[in-house]
Amino acid sequence: MTLEEFTIAFESVKPQLKSYLLRITASVEDTEDLVQDAFIRASQKLDDFRAESTLKTWIFTIASNLAKDNLRAKKRWPESVTDICREKALADPDYFPEIAKIMESAPHTAFEIKEHIVFCLTCIAKSLPLEQQICLFLKEIYEFRVSEIAAIMQTTEAMVKYHLHTGRSKMVLIYEGRCALIHKQGSCHQCSELNGIFNPKQDFEIEKNKIEFAKKANDPDREKLLDLRLKIMKEIDPFNSKGAPLQLHHIQYNRTAMENYSEKNER
Amino acid sequence: MTSGTSNGKAITNKKTFSRETAVRIDIQADPSIIWALLTNAHDFPRWNSTVISIEGSIAPGEKIRLKAQLDPKRTFKLTILEFEPETRLEWGDSMGKRRYSLKPIGPNLTNFSMVEKIGGPLFPLFAKMIPSFDQAFEQFAHDLKMEAETISKTK
Repeated sequence: MTLEEFTIAFESVKPQLKSYLLRITASVEDTEDLVQDAFIRASQKLDDFRAESTLKTWIFTIASNLAKDNLRAKKRWPESVTDICREKALADPDYFPEIAKIMESAPHTAFEIKEHIVFCLTCIAKSLPLEQQICLFLKEIYEFRVSEIAAIMQTTEAMVKYHLHTGRSKMVLIYEGRCALIHKQGSCHQCSELNGIFNPKQDFEIEKNKIEFAKKANDPDREKLLDLRLKIMKEIDPFNSKGAPLQLHHIQYNRTAMENYSEKNER
Repeated sequence: MTSGTSNGKAITNKKTFSRETAVRIDIQADPSIIWALLTNAHDFPRWNSTVISIEGSIAPGEKIRLKAQLDPKRTFKLTILEFEPETRLEWGDSMGKRRYSLKPIGPNLTNFSMVEKIGGPLFPLFAKMIPSFDQAFEQFAHDLKMEAETISKTK
């Protein structure tokens, strides 16, 4: 494969790769750097590519290794990440003016409930051990097979299955305890709060019932509800969705807030 | 050591100065899955109904704090004594030792055994106060089999 052919192929994988790296790192800047580093590293190793896997799997392997190096020293987020960041935002005098500025500069921005669900899922998944988060996203969002994930993670298929299963179980448990969309006693109402801020003319109940997993909140198969939540994430490109400018702002805001929180709690 | 068939039934051998309980079961899963379940301390209560909590890291030489349903008021402070990945794990204290062994017996098929030996010179004095482990051992083996086989079936 020539460098030119590789560059064309890389560009076709890039949107998914960017989305994946953003969801793993929760940082636009780190994502841009990692995409660039992955391109350079892959171009330098082009002779090593033996087509034993697809080019997409190979690129994701290189990018995942770089992301793991980037994240190794960073703390995982607590399950209560959305509560911590909410408090921080409410106490921050710059938070709402910043949002107003984004909405003014991008008038077509629409931060619907679905955008918040994806934002929430991105943050909550960062409370999983990194291997579980990566396996879960690669399988459920980026549609890799278990064997391909094993190649990307340089582990066995059995361990990928373990990470997937435990990651999914933990996500189900967290949402069961927190999410008011699926559980009346859920402690987190941020979807309705944020919808009130970004879409003040909407009736939250009507909007909520347009979302399949919220409609099926009483379904005892909680794994199915998680799948529906993951399906929403799969359908939204965080860099090109209607709510992208706000989505990216919120993710970056939470990343900074969580870094400060970790530092404070380490002292 | 107590041996037995791989039917998930616990067997206890009592002696004057010691007691040994063992359970053995075949699990349709790769040893790595079972090993991951047995060494991920924080995840234990999710799949294992005999464990309330395990604090600490299940790694060579580390100390853990285990709370079990069999005696919920007590916290067992245990040391990891043996740690041979996907083969053998042992933890214990001055009172006793528990050993987990994994043996591949076919493709995607592992024989799991768990043996606990408690005892010592003063054992006869408190032997009657220690409840039987049989039911908890059978439940442990059953939970492990269920969870490992569920994971193994992931597509």
